[in-house]
Amino acid sequence: MNKLTKLFVTFISAITLALVSFSSSFAKVEGDYIVLGSAISLTGKYSSNGVHTQNGYNMAVERINKMGGVEVQGKKYKFEIIYYDDESNPKRAAQLAERLIKQDGVHYMLGPYSSGLTKAIAPVTEKYKIPMVEANGASRSLFTKGYKYLFAVLSPANQYLEVAIDLAVEKNGGKGVKIAQAFEQDAFSQDVRLGILDAAKRTGSEIIIDDKLPKELNDMAATLAKVKAVKPDVLVVSGHTKGALTAIRQISEMKVDVPMLAMTHCDAAKLSKQHGKKSEFALCASQWHKNLSYKDKFFGTGKKYAKDFQKEFGYDPPYQSAESSAALLVFKDAFERANSFDRDAVRDALVDTEMQTFYGNIKFGPGGQNVAKPMILFQVRCKGDDCENRVVAPTKWASDKFYHPIPKWSERS
Amino acid sequence: MSKIKQKDLILYSALIIFGLFAPFIFSAFKVQLTYLCILIVLAMTWNLQGGEMGYNTFGNILFYGLGMYLCASVQVGMFFPLAEWTESGGEKTFVHTTAQYFQGMGVGLLVAAIVPTIVAGAIGYAILGLRGHYFAICTLGLGIAGGEIAGGIEIIGAGQGFTTPPFPAEIVDNEARGEFFYFLSFVLLIAAFVFVKYIYGSRFKLILNAIRDNEDKAEAMGIQTMKYKITGWMCSAFFCGLAGGIMGGLIGYIDSTDVAFDGREMGVFMVLMAILGGKGTLWGPVIGATLFHIFKEGLWTLILGWQYVALGVLIVVIVIYFPEGLMGWLREKYPERFGEVIDEKDRKASVELK
Repeated sequence: MNKLTKLFVTFISAITLALVSFSSSFAKVEGDYIVLGSAISLTGKYSSNGVHTQNGYNMAVERINKMGGVEVQGKKYKFEIIYYDDESNPKRAAQLAERLIKQDGVHYMLGPYSSGLTKAIAPVTEKYKIPMVEANGASRSLFTKGYKYLFAVLSPANQYLEVAIDLAVEKNGGKGVKIAQAFEQDAFSQDVRLGILDAAKRTGSEIIIDDKLPKELNDMAATLAKVKAVKPDVLVVSGHTKGALTAIRQISEMKVDVPMLAMTHCDAAKLSKQHGKKSEFALCASQWHKNLSYKDKFFGTGKKYAKDFQKEFGYDPPYQSAESSAALLVFKDAFERANSFDRDAVRDALVDTEMQTFYGNIKFGPGGQNVAKPMILFQVRCKGDDCENRVVAPTKWASDKFYHPIPKWSERS
Repeated sequence: MSKIKQKDLILYSALIIFGLFAPFIFSAFKVQLTYLCILIVLAMTWNLQGGEMGYNTFGNILFYGLGMYLCASVQVGMFFPLAEWTESGGEKTFVHTTAQYFQGMGVGLLVAAIVPTIVAGAIGYAILGLRGHYFAICTLGLGIAGGEIAGGIEIIGAGQGFTTPPFPAEIVDNEARGEFFYFLSFVLLIAAFVFVKYIYGSRFKLILNAIRDNEDKAEAMGIQTMKYKITGWMCSAFFCGLAGGIMGGLIGYIDSTDVAFDGREMGVFMVLMAILGGKGTLWGPVIGATLFHIFKEGLWTLILGWQYVALGVLIVVIVIYFPEGLMGWLREKYPERFGEVIDEKDRKASVELK
C-alpha cells in the first residue's frame, strides 16, 4: 500500500465511522432530556434570520433548563435541541426533517426559518404525526391545509401590512390611496402581497405599481425609478432582511420621495443601526416589540427579555428571536399539561394552549395559527444620530404618534 | 471473455438484491437511498455529455426542473383545476383518491419524460453548435432562466411555490410513501444504467467520443455530428425529466429556484459527482455519486455552517489528487484490470532509455 491508498482507506473508514456513530439513534426522551429537532438556515440567503431563530431557541432552552426544566409525571426534564443546517433550501429542509424523525428519533419538532421551508417540512411532520411548534412560517396557506400537528406562535403573513394600508387611508381622509408595491418572489412576501391586495379592495385603493423582485435581491432601482415617476401615496416593500436593507439603501441613494414607506423585517435587518437616519420614518410590521406589556415568569417583560438577550448575544432581539423563544415556552406548557410524552397527548395539549408569554398571548386557531395576538407597526424615529423603533399602531400599545407624511429628502438634514 | 461476464453477473445481481432489500434493512435511511438513486441517475446522464461527448453542460438542471413541474402539474391538473390548487399560495386543498394519485403520477412521469426530451431537441438544435466554454456558459444561463421564468408563472404557484399532492391518506402505513418513491427511483436507476451500458457497447458511444476528441475530424469522416449531439442530449433530458418528476413528489414542495431549477446545488452536484468518480467511464459517476452522497450526509452535519467550505476543499482535493476522478486514478494504477495490455518489454525499454 502506498501513501495515497492509505490516505484513501483512512478516508473511507472515517466516513464509515461517522455513519455508524450517526445511525445510533437518540430517543425522543433520553435520560433527563427531552430532545427536540430543528432544521435551521445557518447558511444561504436566510442565514441571518436563521441565526436569530436559533439564538431565540437557545436562549429559551437555557432559561427553562436553569429554572427547573419541564416537569412531567413528577420528574424534571431538560430541553435539548438537535440542529441541522438546511442551507435555506426547501429540498434540504424536507430531507433533514425526515432524518431528524427517522434517524435521530426526534418526536417533537421546532420550526425552521421562513414560510417556504416550513411548507416543505410540514408534510413530513404531518406524515409521521410529529407535533411541530413553529415560530417563523407565517404564510397563510400553511393554515388552510388542514395540518393537525402544526402550531404557529405568530400571526399569518397576510396580516403584516394590512394595518399600514388602513393607516394610509385614514391619513388620506378615508379615501382610497395609490399604492406602489414590490415583493420578493418567495412564499412569505407573496403572502404579504395577498394581504395588501385584500386591503386595497376593502378600502377602494388603487395599486399602481405591482413589481416582483428576485430572490436574494440586491437591486430594486427599476421599481424605485417608476415610483419616482408616478408618485404613489404608499410604497410597500417586503423581501426579508435583504429586501429591507436594499430598499432603504436605494431609496436614500436615489432620493425617492414617498409620503409613506411600509416594510417588513426592519428589526431583523437592524435597519436603525445599519442605516441610521436614512431609515427614519420607515414603517415596519412586526410580530413583537419589547415595549409591549406582556409578561411571563421565565423572561419577565419584553424589556427584560431584550436586556438579557442583548447581554447574551450582543444585539437587540428582533421579533424572530422573541417568537422562537416563545415556541419553547409553548412546548414546555404543553408537556406539563399533557403530563406525558405521548405524541398525541402532547398534540392535544397544544390544541388547548391558552397562555401569556413575554411575546404575547398564544392561542391556536383551528388551522394552527396564533389567533390571540395582533400584529404591530413601528416607525423608525431618530434623535440626532440615535435611531429607535417606536410602536405607532395599534393604539393600545402605541408609544408614539405616527409621523406622516415623510418629509422630502431635500428637507431632511 | 465469458469469465468477466460471469463476474459482472454476480456483481449486478448482488447490487440488485442489495437495492431490493436496502429499504427494509436500512429503513431509517430510505429517503437518503432514494436521493442516492436520483443523484446517480443525474451523474450518469451528465456523463454522456460531459464525459463522453466533451460538452460540459450546466443545462441538465433545466430538464430536471421541467420534469418536476410537469409531473406535479399533470398529477393535479388531471383531476382538479390547477389554477385553484396554486391560487394564493395553495390555500385550497383537493384530496386525491389513491387511484387518482397513482394514475396522476404515472401520466405525470410520462409527460415529465417526453416534454423535456423534446425541449432538449429544440434547444440543442439552437445551441449545440457552440463549443467549449461558450457552450458551458450558454447552458449555465438555461437553468437560471428556467428558475426565473417559473417563478413568474401564476398557474404553477409562481414565487409561492407549488405543493405537490400529498400521498393518499387511505394508505395508513407510514413507510409506504418512502418505499414507493424508493422503488420508483430504483427502477429509474436500473433503467438508466442499462441504457447507458447499452450505449457504452454501441457505435453511438464511439461517435460521441469522436466528437469529444476532434469534432472537425469526426465531421470530415462523414459523421453528422449535430445529429448525434442532439440525440445524446435528448437521452439525458429523458432521464433528468423523470428524476425531477420523482423528486418533486418526494419533496412535496416545489420552489422555482431552490428546488426545481436548483442550478446552484443539483446542477453543480451532478457535474462534481461525475468528475469525482471519473468522467468518461461507466462506473465513475456511480461511484462518484455514492461517495459524494456519503460525504455529504455523513460529514456535513458535523461542521454546521462550514459545509460549503468543506465542499470547496473537497473539490480542490479532487482536482489535485484525482484529476481523472477515482476511476481514472484506478485505471492508471491497475491498467490490466481495465483490459489494457502493457508490453513489459516496451515499458522497460523506455525506462532504460531515460
